[in-house]
Amino acid sequence: MHEFSAATQMVELVLAEAQRRNAKKVLEVKVVVGKLSFLNPEQLRFAYEILSEGTMLESSKLRIEEQDGAIECLKCGYRGGLPTEDNPYYHLGIPFLRCPKCKGEARIIKGRDFTVKSIRIEV
Amino acid sequence: MRQALKVEAMVEIVKAGEGEILDVELDVNLQRRNLELAESNRRLLESFGVKAVDFMGSVGSGKTCLIGRLVETLKPEYRIGVIGGDLTTTIDMDFLSCLGVPVVQVNTGRECHLDANLVAKALEKFNLKELDLLFIENVGNIICPADFPLGAHRRVAVVSVVDSPYTIVKHPLTFQTVDVAVLNKLDLAEAVGADVGRLEADIQKINPRLKIVKASCKTGLGIEKLREALNL
Repeated sequence: MHEFSAATQMVELVLAEAQRRNAKKVLEVKVVVGKLSFLNPEQLRFAYEILSEGTMLESSKLRIEEQDGAIECLKCGYRGGLPTEDNPYYHLGIPFLRCPKCKGEARIIKGRDFTVKSIRIEV
Repeated sequence: MRQALKVEAMVEIVKAGEGEILDVELDVNLQRRNLELAESNRRLLESFGVKAVDFMGSVGSGKTCLIGRLVETLKPEYRIGVIGGDLTTTIDMDFLSCLGVPVVQVNTGRECHLDANLVAKALEKFNLKELDLLFIENVGNIICPADFPLGAHRRVAVVSVVDSPYTIVKHPLTFQTVDVAVLNKLDLAEAVGADVGRLEADIQKINPRLKIVKASCKTGLGIEKLREALNL
């Protein structure tokens, strides 16, 4: 839902950096989207294309890397992936904050970020 | 003047060649910007000894009434302020201002959530010296607010039992970013055939650390329990 504002932030950041470096064109933008954020890569791409029109970013390639989520168990210290319920009822697995090893309570340590990693520019 | 020319000449030498391709590492976490602002909101609130609670939930889940009930209960002990997020109207904050507490309306226009920057601006409108407790009512939305911490000390998700029986399993990530879940409008559970036990089980499965409060603004059920869950 807020992909458009997230894409706006991203495009503004990239344009400012490209202008600062006197770029003629931005060829590629690499971003990382955490799977535990509410950003949908397809919608992000759609917003990016619209926002890129008529700018240095037009027809540039947006590479989206999706980052898996990770949790830390508050009981046994396990750090790793989240257990999910594989129920055919739900298209995507439902992640749980419960340790897959000791069933203790856990907290999220990775997978909520949205990061602009790098850009490729033509100067 | 001569010095300036010299610098310009140097810049000319280190400039990249025409048509050259450059890879530039940025590594800018866009979520981090909101998080930093949220942390600064929290520091500001704490410097005045103000505790803040953020409420999120779908349109019609009963956030405003719940805050109203809490205000009535806590007003004798706390000096309370309320920030209300809404796309276009002041209806909810007009209602809460009738309870005699300072309110600030934030109209987001098109945006589907409050962010830390909007809250920072709203905080400027309060005399924080005269507050102990701040309630923040987010835009009616059970999805996007989860991605935008505001600097509150506690986050609450409000779900009405008359909503879809799948509200919780459909939005697991929301229930993993809050501290308390309120199952609201419990007085209507029987009338709509809601399986409250199942909703509780769904929450426990998704986030076992969550405190669950069953409430009804109509009967006053659960308001004391919510107060305890918020350590107030």
